[in-house]
Amino acid sequence: MRKTLVTVVSLLTVLALFVACAPEDLVEPDFQAGMVTDIGGIDDASFNETSWRGMEIARDDLGITVDYLESGAPTDYVPNITEFLEADYGMIVTVGFLLAGDTYTFAEENPDTFFAIVDFGWAPGMWDEAQSPRLDNLQGLLFSTDEAAFLAGYVAAGMTQTGIIGTFGGLEIPTVTIFMDAFEAGAQYYNQQHGTNVQVLGTDLFVGNFESTEDGRRVGEDLIAEGADIIMPVAGPVGLGTAAAVQANPGTMLIGVDTDWCVSAPEFCDVMLTSVEKRMDVAVSTSIRQAYEGQFQGGTNFVGTLENEGVQISPFNEFEDQVPDELKAAVDEVRQGIIAGTIDTGFDLGAE
Amino acid sequence: MTAIAERIGARHGTSRTRSITYGILFLVTGLAIILLFARPTAPAQISTFDLTVRADPRLMLVPQIVLPTRLTLYVFAALSALAGVWQLVAGFRRANWALGGVALIFIVAFLTWATRDGSLNVVSLLRTAFLRSVPLALAALSGVLCERSAVINISIEGMMLMGAFVGAIMGSLALNVLGWSFAVSQGFGLLSALGSGALLGLLLAVLSVRFKVDQIIAGTAINILATGVTSFFSARILSQYRFLNNPGIIPPFAIPVLSAIPIIGPVFFDHNLLVYVMMVLLIGIHVMLWYTVWGLRTRSVGEHPRAADTLGIDVFRNRYINVTAGGMVAALGGAFLVLASVGRFDRLMTAGKGFIGLAAMIFGNWTPFGAFGAATIFGFADALQTRLAILRVPIPSQFLLMTPYIVTIIVLAGVVGEANPPAADGQPYEKE
Repeated sequence: MRKTLVTVVSLLTVLALFVACAPEDLVEPDFQAGMVTDIGGIDDASFNETSWRGMEIARDDLGITVDYLESGAPTDYVPNITEFLEADYGMIVTVGFLLAGDTYTFAEENPDTFFAIVDFGWAPGMWDEAQSPRLDNLQGLLFSTDEAAFLAGYVAAGMTQTGIIGTFGGLEIPTVTIFMDAFEAGAQYYNQQHGTNVQVLGTDLFVGNFESTEDGRRVGEDLIAEGADIIMPVAGPVGLGTAAAVQANPGTMLIGVDTDWCVSAPEFCDVMLTSVEKRMDVAVSTSIRQAYEGQFQGGTNFVGTLENEGVQISPFNEFEDQVPDELKAAVDEVRQGIIAGTIDTGFDLGAE
Repeated sequence: MTAIAERIGARHGTSRTRSITYGILFLVTGLAIILLFARPTAPAQISTFDLTVRADPRLMLVPQIVLPTRLTLYVFAALSALAGVWQLVAGFRRANWALGGVALIFIVAFLTWATRDGSLNVVSLLRTAFLRSVPLALAALSGVLCERSAVINISIEGMMLMGAFVGAIMGSLALNVLGWSFAVSQGFGLLSALGSGALLGLLLAVLSVRFKVDQIIAGTAINILATGVTSFFSARILSQYRFLNNPGIIPPFAIPVLSAIPIIGPVFFDHNLLVYVMMVLLIGIHVMLWYTVWGLRTRSVGEHPRAADTLGIDVFRNRYINVTAGGMVAALGGAFLVLASVGRFDRLMTAGKGFIGLAAMIFGNWTPFGAFGAATIFGFADALQTRLAILRVPIPSQFLLMTPYIVTIIVLAGVVGEANPPAADGQPYEKE
């Protein structure tokens, strides 16, 4: 009896463990690059997925081996990084603000391994050089998301019928709030230019997680009930729940973040006004290429901007015909203004 | 003072200290409303409450309620203070209800203050609160079914996740691959989800009834299994074959007549099928538990399995049936998230709702309506949190996100009092 019980429970546990973290079969290569995701999963239609695309680009271009390990919880960060280190990976890419502390510690302890971290770097409010001196084997991949989110706020303010637009975030962390605040700043700039009074709801609104699509739907309905007709969710897959809410309420539109959602979630393309793209794939593949070619830019930041197309807003896709030409022209002007520095988004990463 | 307290205590059979504390608490609440909300408000400010969800011609339009903020707040403060005075002088017959009432006054006062110079859609707030409570209520009902026959089910979360996953993939398969009609596909997805829940429920039953495994460990194993399996297949299959993760969403169906009632209609009677199923299940399980032979047997198995066995009730069979049914109800909660809400599966999308449902069950004292009430409070706190953030209440988001838990602590400590689980809860039954 007891034996059967022990067998059943241990079999279950082993099965669960296998299924939870089955790694790819590893071929013995020359250069291996590994990516550690943040919670939300590799298929999050957001930063994990986009960063992974960068890894795949590097694999296809350079013929190297790439692999990822998913973090189901913050307690997985250290074991995942350790696993790549123990398997002698030449480069480890970590995704997200929440991995910053562990990445820095490991980079410091393993000077022969290249590290790059998406969404973090040496900048005010991030790694302070006094306490975290620059490391030659660690590169920060940062994005002036504010520039693209500002444009999105401008477009949304130009397109709203109700005069109210909305946004919300997953957690109150800088990489999320920069989208929301710049979105509002963009709408206000539109108001200034056109003498309108478009309101932005939800700049203090957070759902508290990056997983519950159900929360996304409910919060989307709340914003719509309070009058918003264009919503930009900044919460990874949670935003896909909001997309369902928007689809169920004719006349409302959605603005995606991180990738062009018309491509990554085509079932919602009919409600996607545009997306605030953060080309993490470009940043990641560039960083790996440099490491592979012995040109690794350790101790510096890669900063994606409108100018180097590290950030941008997606085409209007199905709304191409509905966005008036004057608005398109105005958006181009604002884009040029931001690049030239004549328009201030209200943010400065302070990173070089 | 002591004399008054003794009188109150003697008359109502409640503890004196508790009575006095309540009275003082009510007075302090009144004072707090004045100091925190009324005083900083300018006399000219007004609060606007919308009572119609959207401009739908089928709905009767209800005019907005426009209130002068400051005056309204003073009225609320006065009501709360009056309640305090009454409690100290004469004492409420049901002090816990009075506490609930004063808590409600405080929340409404808070909302009135938060809405100054703005507007709040009250009906939509209540509607969201109700919708948010649906998956929690289903999770809690699953817990009630299992624990009434004394099997602790902490794997509700895993069962929901599995239900959501199977519902998404089977519904999509039927719709996008087999080309079945939308309604049939949805039904197929739903039934498959229920089937997966039944299997996991049966697994829990086998482990805890037949093998007498520690029920917490068995439940944890099932949670890990469900998380692993769904995350794995989500990453390897759903992310590559998108047509397998697009089952569509069951369209809403407004119940004729009932849905046209102002305020109540849009809150309760303008949803999709699964919401109504939850309501039916709620009433059904309540009736079954208290007015049928099965219910009596279940309760006796939960309270004193040996006695039940002596009377010829098959304890094992009862537990097998109830835990399997509990798994199905939990899976229905998961299927709700996919088929009735967002129309796709995403890993870990239950985000702890199963555990919150479990808490709601305990909080509701292992009764269906208690559990539903608790789920509604959680749902309301979540919905409230969102509205407060939209209204830009100057409270940090981290504190706003705590609202559901703070509400829980207050209600648990104040209103519910002692928890009263089935006596044999969690103990495997050993036949002699």
